[in-house]
Amino acid sequence: MNEQEKRRRSDRPVKKKKSGTLTAPKKLKLLFTVVDRKKAEFFSDLIGQFKVNLQILLPGEGTAKTETLRLLGLDDAARAVIVSVIRDDLAQSIFETLEEKFDTVRGGKGIAWSVPLSGAVGVAIYQFLSDYREGQIEPARKNERGTNV
Amino acid sequence: MTFSHECIVCIVNTGFSDAVMDAAREFGARGGTVIHGRGTASREAERFFGISITPDKELVLILVPHDLTDQILHALYRAVGLKTPGQGIAFSLPVDQVVGLSTLTFDGDGTGKPTDGSLPEPTEKD
Repeated sequence: MNEQEKRRRSDRPVKKKKSGTLTAPKKLKLLFTVVDRKKAEFFSDLIGQFKVNLQILLPGEGTAKTETLRLLGLDDAARAVIVSVIRDDLAQSIFETLEEKFDTVRGGKGIAWSVPLSGAVGVAIYQFLSDYREGQIEPARKNERGTNV
Repeated sequence: MTFSHECIVCIVNTGFSDAVMDAAREFGARGGTVIHGRGTASREAERFFGISITPDKELVLILVPHDLTDQILHALYRAVGLKTPGQGIAFSLPVDQVVGLSTLTFDGDGTGKPTDGSLPEPTEKD
């Protein structure tokens, strides 16, 4: 590299680094949420706030144990099963939110569990399921000293 | 890797979900959820094996502690297996996280407690 070339390169404006870090692909999980059918939409919306792009809502029924209650029609067995594809890194927040709502919402008792997903075919499908948007960079996390990690 | 709970999925002919739950309860399952579905079987295979598959199916989801899974799967095989009128298949999925076990009303009595008078099983939260 001659002197002229070196000077030309040093005169170039230095590009500022973007404040963020590129991250590895997110693992996915399948979340099953069983709730009263009347509350299905509420819980579906709640889960939808956590970057969830695919949810399937299935009408189901609880398995009432007491035959008498069933005969009298006193058991409201109508349930909804919400199947959602969630990101592993958001699972903890989703579970905490669901647990809080199960305890506090009137008639919102339910159960939720997750099953790990081992594969998905197609890059576009994966990007859709994990809500990965082109060019999106995760905000940098800072440690105690305030420097990026 | 072992998980604390497993999700048993049992697919049976319509009308056999009660038989599924009876068999599962015998070995400690507390409740389940039934979803209605429609099976798709190969017509050629049906003709070859000389059997007819009822297309209307019930899919029963049962969340159970890991140590009960094998016993319940065997019970389901005996009660509603492929060689029974229920023509059921059952398998289990690993569950890595679960919430709401202590609050869910499995039994329809509105209390969320077992109706047989026994104390609820302790959960991780307790």
